[in-house]
Amino acid sequence: MLDGLVITRRFDTPTWLLALVFLAGIAAGLAMATALLVAIGVPASALFNEVIGEAFMTASGLAQTLTFATPLICVGLSAAVALRLRFWNIGIEGQLWLGALGATAVALGDVGPEATRLPLMLVAAALAGAAWIALPLVLKLRLGVSEVISTLLLGSIAFLFAQHLLFGAWRDPATGFPISLAFDASERLAALGFGRTHLGLPIALAAALLVWFLVDVTRLGFYGRAVGENIEAARAAGVPVIAVTCAFVLLSGALSGLAGGLIVAGTEHRMSLTLGAGYTFSGIVIAFLGRFRPLATVVVAVIIGGVFTASDVFKVFYGISEAVVVLLQGLVLFGVLVAQFFGAYRISRANWGASA
Amino acid sequence: MTETAIAHPAGDGRPVSPGAGAPPGTPPALELAGVHKAFDGKPALIDAGFTLRRGEVHALVGENGAGKSTLMNVATGVYAADAGRELVDGELVRIRGPVDAAAAGLGMVHQHFRLVPRFTVAENVRLALGRRAGSPAAAAALVAAKAEKIGFPVRPDARVADLSVAERQRAEILKVLLLGARVLILDEPTAVLTEQESDALLAFTARLATQGGSVVLITHKLREVAARADRVTVMRQGRTVLDGAPIASVSSAEVARLAVGATVAPVARPRRAPGGPALTVDGLAHRRDDGGVTLDGLTLSLREGEVLGLAGVGGNGQSELVACLAGLAAPRAGSVALAGRDITTASPAARRDLGLRVVPADRFAFGLIRGFSVADNLALAALRRGRYGAPFGVARRRIRRDAEAAIRDHEIHGAAPGRSTGLLSGGNAQKVLLARELDDAVRVLVAHSPTRGLDVRAAQAVQAAIAAAAERGVACLLISEDLEELMALSARIAVINRGRIVGEMPVEDASAAALGALMVGHA
Repeated sequence: MLDGLVITRRFDTPTWLLALVFLAGIAAGLAMATALLVAIGVPASALFNEVIGEAFMTASGLAQTLTFATPLICVGLSAAVALRLRFWNIGIEGQLWLGALGATAVALGDVGPEATRLPLMLVAAALAGAAWIALPLVLKLRLGVSEVISTLLLGSIAFLFAQHLLFGAWRDPATGFPISLAFDASERLAALGFGRTHLGLPIALAAALLVWFLVDVTRLGFYGRAVGENIEAARAAGVPVIAVTCAFVLLSGALSGLAGGLIVAGTEHRMSLTLGAGYTFSGIVIAFLGRFRPLATVVVAVIIGGVFTASDVFKVFYGISEAVVVLLQGLVLFGVLVAQFFGAYRISRANWGASA
Repeated sequence: MTETAIAHPAGDGRPVSPGAGAPPGTPPALELAGVHKAFDGKPALIDAGFTLRRGEVHALVGENGAGKSTLMNVATGVYAADAGRELVDGELVRIRGPVDAAAAGLGMVHQHFRLVPRFTVAENVRLALGRRAGSPAAAAALVAAKAEKIGFPVRPDARVADLSVAERQRAEILKVLLLGARVLILDEPTAVLTEQESDALLAFTARLATQGGSVVLITHKLREVAARADRVTVMRQGRTVLDGAPIASVSSAEVARLAVGATVAPVARPRRAPGGPALTVDGLAHRRDDGGVTLDGLTLSLREGEVLGLAGVGGNGQSELVACLAGLAAPRAGSVALAGRDITTASPAARRDLGLRVVPADRFAFGLIRGFSVADNLALAALRRGRYGAPFGVARRRIRRDAEAAIRDHEIHGAAPGRSTGLLSGGNAQKVLLARELDDAVRVLVAHSPTRGLDVRAAQAVQAAIAAAAERGVACLLISEDLEELMALSARIAVINRGRIVGEMPVEDASAAALGALMVGHA
């Protein structure tokens, strides 16, 4: 029966079909995620309560979701900005580690007056993140080194560097644990009075607005689209390709670094070795689900934040492992990516060999 | 299997004279009837039919986009048709892909050869034949024997990457024959060949037919049809409009009329007296990354309002010259000057500012952006000059208005400002590119094969646009493999061979034979 089917490329996919395919992909992903959770022992009846109810409908759950979402917005934007140029930033975690280290260095070193301490911490975080992606950027532009490898490996180096500091100079002298001293009150982002949410949330939203303006409104954004679609055509048309690439990629690194700064200054209030894990994967998932649009990224980040909240509940009540959280995100992304096939191709029945 | 690659219909190997075809009563080698094929709802083939006799060379003629290649791709299972039927030697068959096609004795040589460049000819044959080819030595012997038998010089141990286009084509044909093809389908085989190489290939196809093989020549060059085919089938807009007429029974004017549907007036050569120097290239040298010499001291000069034709077989440095002129590749030596200013190391942007415009051979390589809308492609270059507002905004409405005007002025069919450029036909995409490149500030136009792949009408529009630009005083470097086009538009014609200019003559002194000799000469 299957060989009676013909697959043809669509020339023009209508917007409604794209939307339908996208939603169907999410639905398929969620169905697979549900099947997975049921298979490992979460009662199906509890799923709705835990995911929708706990993560979004209760005040404490929603606050937790938004707290999770704050750095997720930044890493989602980071991945989206880089992917617009077809630059695969697989080192989001590395830049995030550097951002956290940068902010921590400013805090522990008591740099500058107390009034400017917090802004300085966040600027240091963004700059450290940008600096960490600058090396792969230069390697790519100068020598054509694949950024997939260089950003990925620099991520591991960043983690080792964080270990080096936390097992050495920054180790908590009281306990000997590899965590830094807690920050002073002036080095913590103010709480918003809603659970653990903090000033980082409006900062992340402002970052999303700024990125939206840059990539969707300005000439730089127009050029970025051209470079991402066809770098040679852009160069030949007089687009300053190098400058555009540097702007987008450094912005991506800065956003990841900012995520690290927001985590240490907003929720952890100290540097530790557990705060950065998993953000590369989440960032790329969020960017893809948000179709690389800055404002959609915010929405998706909040939803993924909800998955994190729900997963915490699963972990506590059903003994589900951390890996399942990654699997859930992966299944939804998988659903959406597979569904895109149906937007790009038409499937029809063949009538070959019938007498004409 | 491989030894019966060219079947002898009479069974005794007696040659069958061309034109006579097989004895009466022999079923056709290949028959397609009632073929329908649509791509995303747009019909490409409408009730198309084709009948190929044993022992004939059959020309399949039509404009680009008429459905010739599509029909043959259906026949060989590359595309699945929506409806219709196919018979090989009178048997109803269903070809689902290359394996089925080879088993049925159908072999197609596509415009882009299916050869692994890093492999030798023999290795490519082994790859295609699998176990049947035997050991490497056996495969090499097989290639050599077959080459000998069909009178086709092919070295089994030559690396495909080192071969000329004509040699690659021979290797591909040989491979297809070794795969057991009794029907050989050649898609635009002479598009990449010189006059002399074309003659050799067409002589070979005639020979193959006398040995009982059947050949389909897909082409839009009518001259070849008249010279070499036994019968001709003409397609227009997905339909078969002339089904297998003996070549003697139709004039080439009749074939042209059927293929185009209307006659197209030739473009008049620009008559403007050339002005001052516009583009001067002196001793330009360039190498590929692997060290291969592509430009070897190339020198040419071009004056305002002049069309300089640059003839040459593809792959003799034309693409590298265009890349160097566009500022996308760095020459190792030599200089480029535009209106007296040295631009050898200038950025593409700086070159544009001086009025240099480039139309590359592949429109979507560094011309247009496939995923961009027509309006965005048209606006891309002008953004820098501030035409669409300050850097912190983009004047979308103005971009749209300009695009609407360009679509109207250049008669870009099927285009709308918001439509994706990749959806346009080749001819209309080329018009978008020309509309952008031939702006108010253009002084020098470098156009590389600007009409390749376009149908007659679209090609004529592109040629007219180039001629009109020259009349306005634009200096045009027209790089083409199409000698007719070069002779129609150029005032002078230079010939590029192995990265240097090997000859130059006023168009009055130029002939296809003279140019062809320079193009293939080893001087």
